[in-house]
Amino acid sequence: MEMDRESGKLEQIVSQFRSKILHVILNSRIPSLHHHYQQQEPLSLARVRKSDKWFNLVLGDRAAALENLNFSLRNLLDPMIIDIILVHHSSCSSSLDNLYTPSAAVGSPSDETVIERWVVQYDCARVNATPSGADTSSSYKKTYKKSIILLRSLFAQMRLLPAYRIFRQLSSLSQTYNVDLVYKVSSFSHPFSREEEGAMKEYSFVPVEAFPGRLCVSVTYRTTLSDFNLEPLVSLPSNIITDYVGSPTTDPMRSFPSEKGFHATSFSIRGARPPSPSPFQRPHSWSSGFHKGLPLMQNQSLAGSPPAYRTSPKPYDVVSPQSDIYGNRIRNRLPTLQQATAYDEYQLSPPFSASASPSPPAYLSGANPVVAHHCSETAPVTIPFPLTGRNSFHLSLNSSDPSRHSLPPLSPRSSKHDASSQESPSGIRSYRKLEALRAGESPSGLSINYSAQKMVRDTKDDSGRFSGLLSSSGSPRIGFSRSSSRLSFQDDMDDCEFSCPFDVDDIDVSDSPASQNVEGKKALDFTAQSVPVGKKSQDAAVGMLVHMLRTAPPLRQDPSCYSTHSSKTVGYEGGVGTASGFFMPCKTADALEELKSYREMRDLLLSKSGTRVVRKEEM
Amino acid sequence: MNCEVCQLKELEVEHFEIREVLRCILHTIVFHRALGLVRPKDVDLELFEITYVQCGDVELEKKIDERIDHFISWVEKHPNKKSQICLSFYEVKSKQPSWFTNKTERLYWEQWYVNLNVTQHPKHHSSKSHHAKVVVDPGESATEDRSSRRAMVEASLREVLFQIIKFVNEKKDHVPPISDGVIYFPYEITIPSSSDSAFGMDMIKRMLHSGHPTMLS
Repeated sequence: MEMDRESGKLEQIVSQFRSKILHVILNSRIPSLHHHYQQQEPLSLARVRKSDKWFNLVLGDRAAALENLNFSLRNLLDPMIIDIILVHHSSCSSSLDNLYTPSAAVGSPSDETVIERWVVQYDCARVNATPSGADTSSSYKKTYKKSIILLRSLFAQMRLLPAYRIFRQLSSLSQTYNVDLVYKVSSFSHPFSREEEGAMKEYSFVPVEAFPGRLCVSVTYRTTLSDFNLEPLVSLPSNIITDYVGSPTTDPMRSFPSEKGFHATSFSIRGARPPSPSPFQRPHSWSSGFHKGLPLMQNQSLAGSPPAYRTSPKPYDVVSPQSDIYGNRIRNRLPTLQQATAYDEYQLSPPFSASASPSPPAYLSGANPVVAHHCSETAPVTIPFPLTGRNSFHLSLNSSDPSRHSLPPLSPRSSKHDASSQESPSGIRSYRKLEALRAGESPSGLSINYSAQKMVRDTKDDSGRFSGLLSSSGSPRIGFSRSSSRLSFQDDMDDCEFSCPFDVDDIDVSDSPASQNVEGKKALDFTAQSVPVGKKSQDAAVGMLVHMLRTAPPLRQDPSCYSTHSSKTVGYEGGVGTASGFFMPCKTADALEELKSYREMRDLLLSKSGTRVVRKEEM
Repeated sequence: MNCEVCQLKELEVEHFEIREVLRCILHTIVFHRALGLVRPKDVDLELFEITYVQCGDVELEKKIDERIDHFISWVEKHPNKKSQICLSFYEVKSKQPSWFTNKTERLYWEQWYVNLNVTQHPKHHSSKSHHAKVVVDPGESATEDRSSRRAMVEASLREVLFQIIKFVNEKKDHVPPISDGVIYFPYEITIPSSSDSAFGMDMIKRMLHSGHPTMLS
């Protein structure tokens, strides 16, 4: 019958109206559902779905949760009550405490406040009324038109209510907060308390006639949400680990002769709370107790201190599920990351450090050669030759200007220390080594392979030393980046072939003492052949060396070049040991001697390779 | 069919706020009268913490912006004057052509009056100060005054938007039926012309076309 058909249409309108309203409300209040909507490809109006055509309002796909809800609330006569609940995570316990006790974090108390309550009801008071034929024929059309208008006004009003601002903040992917918006849909609800009612206001949309009843929509909302402080869960300040010790493979029981002060380091962790007022302290990289904390443990803290964790005895974890995933990735990546930063750090090592007075590292066989080269706070020690065939880092001198000795340029801070530091002769010997390499190589130049070029660069977080070196060498900076970018950073760390010159695994430490001896002997041998020193003042020689180092062109990666020269180097050096960086002579005489021996070695290499050696009276 | 008229609350805005305020109000009204298939688009105002909704129709956006530009030009030529923009919705009815009338007739079924009071910058404050309400209080710091003034304008704008929603909800019977394939009802945006008398003539013309006296509520 006509009436049955009409009533069927009306029922369909009412049913779809409820679904549509639910869709509009949840899309405008629940960040997770909003993200689902945003991830959809924007549809042209020509390709809208059937559900979108209802009420001429394209909202995109409904999330599965909405579909389930629609099904469960199919009784049209029952009211549909949609509560928008603000969940405020307890702020009395810091997220760091929650990290200590992950289980507690899950069950931590949180405040839940209904900030909006939408009530959609088909008020069918006149169930038994029978409309006339003329009324029914156009009634569903009018009902439909008015329903469209109501939905439009509801859609617009949702953007004007106080909850919308919180929704927008929470929807922002760049920040996480201590609150969340959830919803509850049911056909009944607990009444508000008096106190709650006092803070809320009600607005009722004009009902839409939908014979035999009418569609009623109302909202009770909190007039102000300023009481709920949205605290962004800021990332911890990112710092370069300036005194990283070594890789997880480092012997944790290895000790250093002296124990220096602690340096606070921290990591950027998305979702974690800011660090406590007293920054975590970590032992200095060459302090005696530091290595006891190594290698990295899976449950070590992520916030505030690196894996040394001597000052943070409890294992860390992250609070939210999201952070858990992120936290786990952090843990897995952290050793590599720290390894990476350490290598570069040692490159800039102690002479360039603004830290305390030197204290010698224990240069033991099997010890981390990177650490061994870290002599800013060490007494003068013998430093082995920097390169061997097993050395992973690639060096190729830039021989465009033979007189420049193409050593990596120093960072501005490092430059300051160049003239004033009194490093050991090992630094000079390292220059000899580099010069030797340069002598035998192709004109393509010497550079350090910063495989970390693949890493995410965080220019804001680099220390001055880092930035100085890297910028001058044209290589990327290595540092912690915030939030989601660090995830990719971590991945890149894994993906990239990290062939930093100070890659511990590739450096043959055991040969270092022998290499030093060999080097020393050969230096003496060459002394006789060297250019007389005394023609210019020693100070001038040092000054020239400094100038040389400063004006050295940027390092660049040249694996092929390295492999060629490393073999030559090995042949020449007789298995001389490990990578070294760029060390400044501690004394003028040492510097001069180093330079002389370096030149002599270069000449020898050149003579062997048949290259004519041009000797200059530089000194 | 009655022509429903809505006089929106007067807003005091500065010159640089005109565009945003008018965009917000006009698009909100049209969105409620765009009963065809639309894909709503949220737009955040830059000057205020308000989000309004557009239909997502490019032509509509262009036309509204064009009218706003005309209005701004008019305001620049007529400083210190209260101004009004009229957004009208009509139906096109064909009628018998005669010597004095066209074949088609516009039946206005809804009119929205957006009332603005464009305040002048204190530097350009004219002698007719009683029209331009200078908000700046020399005693307050410029920043505080600006922020408080901005908050006032934002609150007023919100009130206007709520007024639109209320009006739209209360008056639905006069809205014509929806035509297939039509996204929004035909509309017209009337701005004051170069002279006040011309503006008045526009009003009279509209009355003649609609056949109903303009009801001021």
